[in-house]
Amino acid sequence: MKLVDQLGFVKRNMKKNKLRIFMTVLATTMGCSFLIVLASIGFGLQNSLMEEASSHQPLTQITVNGKMIDETYHEVTEEDLATIGATENVSAVVPQSRIYSHSEVTLEDEFRASVEGIITNFEAEKNSNFRLSEGEFPENENEIIVGYHLHEVLNKFDRTTLEYITTGDSNEELVSYDSNLLGKIVTFSFMDDSSETVFTDEYKIVGIADEPARDWVQDRSVYIGDERREDLLSLAGQEDFYNNVTAHVASVDQTEGVTNALKEEGFMVYSISEELRGINVFFTAFKAGLIFVGTIAVLIASIGIFNTMTMAVTERTHEIGIMKALGANPSVIKRMFLFESASIGLLGSLFGVAIAYGVSIAANFFIPLILEATTNSEGIDITFSYIPLQLVLIATGISVTVACISGFRPAAKATNVNVLSALRREA
Amino acid sequence: MINVEHLHYSYKIGKKGKKSTVPVLKDVNLEVGKGEIVSIVGRSGSGKSTLLNLLSGYITADSGKITINDRDVTNLSEKEWAKFRLEHFGFIFQNYELIPSLTAFENVELPLTLKGVPRKQREERTQILLESIGLSAHEDHYPNELSGGQQQRVSIARALITEPDIIFADEPTGSLDSETEEDVLKLIKDLNKNRNITFLMITHDQEVAAIADRTLKIHDGKMNQERGVYFEAR
Ligand SMILES: Nc1ncnc2c1ncn2[C@@H]1O[C@H](COP(=O)(O)OP(=O)(O)OP(=O)(O)O)[C@@H](O)[C@H]1O
Ligand SMILES: [Mg+2]
Repeated sequence: MKLVDQLGFVKRNMKKNKLRIFMTVLATTMGCSFLIVLASIGFGLQNSLMEEASSHQPLTQITVNGKMIDETYHEVTEEDLATIGATENVSAVVPQSRIYSHSEVTLEDEFRASVEGIITNFEAEKNSNFRLSEGEFPENENEIIVGYHLHEVLNKFDRTTLEYITTGDSNEELVSYDSNLLGKIVTFSFMDDSSETVFTDEYKIVGIADEPARDWVQDRSVYIGDERREDLLSLAGQEDFYNNVTAHVASVDQTEGVTNALKEEGFMVYSISEELRGINVFFTAFKAGLIFVGTIAVLIASIGIFNTMTMAVTERTHEIGIMKALGANPSVIKRMFLFESASIGLLGSLFGVAIAYGVSIAANFFIPLILEATTNSEGIDITFSYIPLQLVLIATGISVTVACISGFRPAAKATNVNVLSALRREA
Repeated sequence: MINVEHLHYSYKIGKKGKKSTVPVLKDVNLEVGKGEIVSIVGRSGSGKSTLLNLLSGYITADSGKITINDRDVTNLSEKEWAKFRLEHFGFIFQNYELIPSLTAFENVELPLTLKGVPRKQREERTQILLESIGLSAHEDHYPNELSGGQQQRVSIARALITEPDIIFADEPTGSLDSETEEDVLKLIKDLNKNRNITFLMITHDQEVAAIADRTLKIHDGKMNQERGVYFEAR
């Protein structure tokens, strides 16, 4: 018997008892959408948490600290940088040194800001995917990149008193530079411990860093190339070491391998993904638990499928007898019943998925509103429910499998219908 | 065509502890040639239907050997029987056994559907057969919208559609009035003549036995070769 004809029979049989099939599909739909919505909370919360975590530091970034040898701490050396760079999957090593002394930037002798001076290697920054909002990476010594908010913190000051000037009105606000800094020449300087200016030089701003991921961070960094790092550090009275070395990988799943490799080398490393691993294990267990509870709902629906299929077989015993008497293959008869219960499962999960998406969208829209209203806070930006394709496939798989399993016994019963007793039972 | 040797069959009845066997067929021998019409007679309960059920593969013999179309079918599995039936047999049942949810057309088409014949070819063949049997006008009727005679003709058409080698008929005219019966018998006769189909028919009816080449009688679980009350071939 051809597959189309088998499916044709299945369709006809299902149409014959629309109400019964509808109720069974409805139960499956409810079970399936319950499963998806429940599990989507696990996925949603995990996503929110991951997003929150990766806004501190990209997941592809690994902070490398020095080594602990014989209970003494050794800073990252030039040699170490080469070792880190040679580690498999490391795409860039960024060696940064911060100038701890009080640093300033002045523009046109009119605006001034205290800044955070960072000596870095631009080649490495570029490779590590350091993103600029404008401009480009410096090509020579006297070019620098500045933080996204520098123009905001550059405030007008009085040339003679060196005091900041405030607006004339009652607000007494400082006056910011507030226009594009790209291409401007600024003076960068820093002092030593006794507030003596020990370094001053002019630099051209060629690039402006991307806006920080987190809203409240004010980026007032000034990135200076490492051509003169030794001079600068000694002027600042600092020892010559790197105090922020980060290794970068191309994709998140390489982070763990690199982290472990660097640990083996003896470095003290830190990466967000390492921190997240524990959380991920927890969430995997949590999601599995939610899916398990949801599956119980599908199992309850499967009782309905079992009943429906058993009734269908009983109702059709005579018909099955005739078909077998004429020479229908018993396994074809079995398959037709399995198709029927699988269709119920499939229909149920189709509707279930659609409903689950609706519920999920509604939950993500309304729950923050309710929370904002009840807690009087603003801008709650958490995904409560997230339905990845993976979850849809899992739920559909579970529903169809459970439907098939519950159709199995009725289908076997249909196969074993005795021709003679089926025919003797008058039509 | 059909060869039966030393066939024994008994029904097992009763529940646990009170089991007993009812011997129905005892050492039945039978030979039917190609293109023959053979009718089987015998008293009610003599085992006629049982014999037909054994030949159709609905039940399995206790002992003995059945050969059909030169194939030993005695020990075929359920699946093999199904295939064999579909391939070689047509069935006319006493109470038609049409599927109530299928139209006359679809009922006749069913064996071809089971065989996996392509739809177009299937519908063409069904159309032609229904016409020749005079049922075209009723092809969209469901069985409960047909008269007894019409239903019987639909079931005959269903037996014929696969152009089988053998048609088994259990009381093919049992529930027909004499005029319709005449039509049906004429149809059987024609089919036998034109398509050389072998018929094995059970009957109580003298008219039916009359069109047979031979009439066999089952008595006391045994087959009496070519003897019997209705022994007056054409
Ligand atoms: N399923 C069964 N279980 C037990 N005994 C049975 C069964 N079917 C038939 N019998 C017995 O087998 C014997 C033969 O039955 P069978 O149906 O073959 O008779 P028959 O010749 O076809 O009779 P009829 O002309 O009335 O149809 C009967 O005595 C009957 O009681
Ligand atoms: Mg009988």
